[in-house]
Amino acid sequence: MEHSIIRVENLSVCYHADKRGSRAVNNVSFCLDRGGSLGIIGESGSGKTSLAMAMMGLFKKPTRVDGQVYYENTDLNRLSERERNLYRWAKMAIVFQNSLDVLNPVLTVDEQILECLRRHTPLPPREADKKVLRLLKLVGLEAKWSQYYPHQLSGGMRQRVLIAMALSCDPEVLIVDEPTTALDAAAKDEMIKLLARLHKEKKFALIVISHEMQVITRLAGRVMVMYGGYMAEAGLTKDVLKNPMHTYTRGLIHASPSANPYRDLWGIPGEEAGNSSEGCPFYNRCNQKVSDCKTKLPRLAYVGIERRVACNRGGIVTLLTGENIYKSFSFRGKTVKVCDNCRMAIRSGEIVVLIGASGSGKTTLASILAGTLAADRGEVLFEGEKVKGNRAACRKNGIQMVFQDPFTAVNEHLTVRQAVAEPLDILKQGTKEDRIQQVKQALKDVQLPGDDGFISRKCHSLSGGQRQRVALARSLVMEPKLLIADEISSMLDPSTQANILRLLKGLQNAKGFAMLYITHDLALARKIADRVYVMQQGSLIEHGSVPDVLSKQGDGVAALH
Amino acid sequence: MKYVKQGMKNIKGFTLMGKTGMAVVCVVLFLGIFSDRLSVHPYNLPSGSAFEAPGPVHWLGTDDLGIDLWAQICFGARVSMIIGFGTALLAGIGGSLIGICSGYFGGLIDKIVMRVTDIIIVLPDLPTMIVLGAFFGPGIRNIIIVLALFSWTVPARIVRSKILSVKEEKYVVAAKNYGAKFWHLTIRHFLPNILPVVMVSVIRLFSKAIVAEAGLAFLGLGDPTSKSWGLILNHAVNFRGIYFTDYWKWWIVGPSAAIMLLVTAIAFICRDVEKIVNSKI
Repeated sequence: MEHSIIRVENLSVCYHADKRGSRAVNNVSFCLDRGGSLGIIGESGSGKTSLAMAMMGLFKKPTRVDGQVYYENTDLNRLSERERNLYRWAKMAIVFQNSLDVLNPVLTVDEQILECLRRHTPLPPREADKKVLRLLKLVGLEAKWSQYYPHQLSGGMRQRVLIAMALSCDPEVLIVDEPTTALDAAAKDEMIKLLARLHKEKKFALIVISHEMQVITRLAGRVMVMYGGYMAEAGLTKDVLKNPMHTYTRGLIHASPSANPYRDLWGIPGEEAGNSSEGCPFYNRCNQKVSDCKTKLPRLAYVGIERRVACNRGGIVTLLTGENIYKSFSFRGKTVKVCDNCRMAIRSGEIVVLIGASGSGKTTLASILAGTLAADRGEVLFEGEKVKGNRAACRKNGIQMVFQDPFTAVNEHLTVRQAVAEPLDILKQGTKEDRIQQVKQALKDVQLPGDDGFISRKCHSLSGGQRQRVALARSLVMEPKLLIADEISSMLDPSTQANILRLLKGLQNAKGFAMLYITHDLALARKIADRVYVMQQGSLIEHGSVPDVLSKQGDGVAALH
Repeated sequence: MKYVKQGMKNIKGFTLMGKTGMAVVCVVLFLGIFSDRLSVHPYNLPSGSAFEAPGPVHWLGTDDLGIDLWAQICFGARVSMIIGFGTALLAGIGGSLIGICSGYFGGLIDKIVMRVTDIIIVLPDLPTMIVLGAFFGPGIRNIIIVLALFSWTVPARIVRSKILSVKEEKYVVAAKNYGAKFWHLTIRHFLPNILPVVMVSVIRLFSKAIVAEAGLAFLGLGDPTSKSWGLILNHAVNFRGIYFTDYWKWWIVGPSAAIMLLVTAIAFICRDVEKIVNSKI
C-alpha cells in the first residue's frame, strides 16, 4: 500500500451524533493509487456524497466522523482545521454536484476561480488571471465566458466552471460528485470525455460518484458499490458490471438503461427500511436472504481476484446446477439423443432463457431439471441437494413448473380456489382459512380478482390467459425459488402474451425468484433474459449474456433469427 | 345441495321426450315406493274371482288365482327399481373403480383387468346368467350380483380409456409433482372427468338390468316370492289353460306394457343426458 495516495479506513459518518442520529456512512475502507480511478455507485441516500464530504473534512459538529483518511501517510482527520486547509483544495479537490447554488450568484466566473487561487496559492494577481484563462481553456470554455454570472450559464457550462475551480490548484486527488446529473445526452457525453481527458493529462487520482452506470464504466477502472452507508461490493468495473456478485449491484445494473439496450428496466423493489444497527442493511430487499442475514452484519470479503462482496451468503448463490446431463429416447430400435452433455447453472434471482428450435430438447431438459423426468446420466443439484423425483417441487421455496398449454394446465372441472390451493391441499399446509388467504394473495399477485365470486368460478369459464394466470398462481402459492416456465405464452394472443410476460417479470422482480424461461422466440429472449442458453439438437451450443450470444454468428443462433 | 340444483337445471334442458321419460320413471319409482298404499288389494292373496277383466274393482283384472294384477304390477315396480338401481350402481361404481385402477396403475393390473373384461364380453350373457342364476339360487340380491358381474365391463372400459388420456394432462402431472396420491387424484381430477361418461353408461345399465331381470324371471330363474314383472309374465305364459280363456291378454298386457314403458322412458332420458354431457365439454 506504499504507492497509494489516499487510504480510507473504517470511515463512518453520523449525522446528529448527539441525538442518536442516523449513520450515513458505515466503516468504509478503500485505497486509491496515484493516478488511479474509483467509481462509487449506489442509489440516492446510499451515503456516496457523505463519504466524499467526510474525505474532504467538510463536516462540522454535531456530525461525527470516525475513522481515518490517510493522504499519503498523514491522517487528515487528526489535523487541525488550519493544517487541514493546506490539503483541502491544494491536494484534494472536489467537484460538487452541479446546481445553481454551488456557485456564488454575485460573483462572475472569473472571480469564482480567482477566489480559489487566492486562497490556496501564492500566485501574484497577474499570473492568477492568466491561470484562470488557461483553466477555462482546459475545461473547454471560451475566454469570453469568464465575465458572465453563474445564472447566465447553461448547466453544462456551470459544471465546467466547477471542474475548473477544482483543478485550479492542480490537486492530486479529484472527487467528482455526480458530474452528469441534469445534463442532456450530448452534454453528458462531452462531460465524460472531458473528465477522461483531464484524468489522462493531469494524472490525478479520480473518484467519481454517480448513480449512472455509464459514467462509472467510462471513467473508473474500479468500482465500489454502496448501500445504506455500507460497501456492498468492490472490484474492477468491468468484472463487477459483467458479473455482479451482490444482489444489490445486480439490481442497479438491471435498472440501468445503458446496460440494458433491449431489456425492460426494473428497479430494485422496496425501500430502505431504516438503519438497523444489526443485520444486513440490504436484508429487506434482498431476494436470497436467510434468517441469519437479519442478525448478522456481513463483512466485506474477497470472493475472487480483486473482488470483494459484503454478503453473508458469499454473493449471489447458484441455485440450480445441471451437470453432464444425458437423455435419449428409444423407439422401435431407434435411439434419439435428446440431451447430450448439457450443463446449466441458474443463480438466485436471475432470468435464464433457454432458447432453441422446436424439437431441440428444451422441454426434456427442463423436465429433467425440475425432476419430473429422470436423466440417463448426470445430476441436477438444487441448493446443493440432488433433485430426484418431486423432491424439489413438493415443498415451499422449491422448483415450480408452469406449462405451455393453459387449457390442460388447470383442471377445468375445479373451481379457481381448488385449482390454486391444490398444492397446499396436497401438502396439507395451514388451516383452511390460511389457504384461502394464500390463494387470494396469489390471485392478487397475478392480477386476477380475489373475491369470493371469482374464486368459486369453475376454471372452464376462464379464458386462456386467465387460466395461465391461475396456473401461475398455483405455482406462486408454493413460493418457489426457481420457476420453470415452459413456453407459457406461446399459445396466447400477442396482447395477452405481453401482459403475462410483464406480469411474470414484475413478479420475478418483486419476489426475487429465479426463472428458467423456455422459448423459441429470440425477440422475447432479448426482452427478458439476464442470460441465455442456446440449445440445438440436444446440446447447449452457446451461453452467456444476451447481446454477447446473439451477436455471435454461429449456425445455431443464426437459425433462430 | 349444489349438485341437486345443477341436476334440476340439467333436467330443465331435457327435450319433451326426455321430460316425459323422466316423468314415467318418477311414476314407476313412486309406484314402487308406495305400492302398499296405492293398491287396495293385496298382491299375494286372492281378492276376487279368477280371470276378471279390468273393471272398477280390479283395475287391470285378476290372474288365475284371483289376485289383483294392479297390485302385482305396483309391487313388481319395487322389485324392478331395486334391481335396476342396485345393478347399475354396483356395476357403475365397481366398474369405474376397476377402470380407474387399471388406467392409472397400468402394467400388470391393467393387463389382467383388460383380459378379464375381454372374457366377459365374449361370453354370451343370457346363457351364462341362466347358469349362474340357477347356481346361486333365486333371490333379489343374487340376481343383482349376477347382473352386475356381467355389466361392470362397460363402465370399466370407458373409464379406463378416459383415465389414460386424463393421466397425461399437465394438471395431473403438476398435482403428482406436488406429491398427490392416488386418492387425491381420483377425487379431485379423475371423478369430475369420468362422471359424465359414467352417468350415461349407468343409465344404460339400469334399463339393461331391468330387461335382464325380467328375462331371467320369465325363464323361471327369478325369485318366486318377489312378484317381479318378469315373474308375472312367467306365470301367465306357464299357465297351461291360458289360451282357452279370453282373459290371458289382460294378464300379459299389464306387465309387458310396464316393462316397455319403463325401458323406453329410460332410453329417452339416456339420450338427453348424453346430449347434455357431450355439449358441456
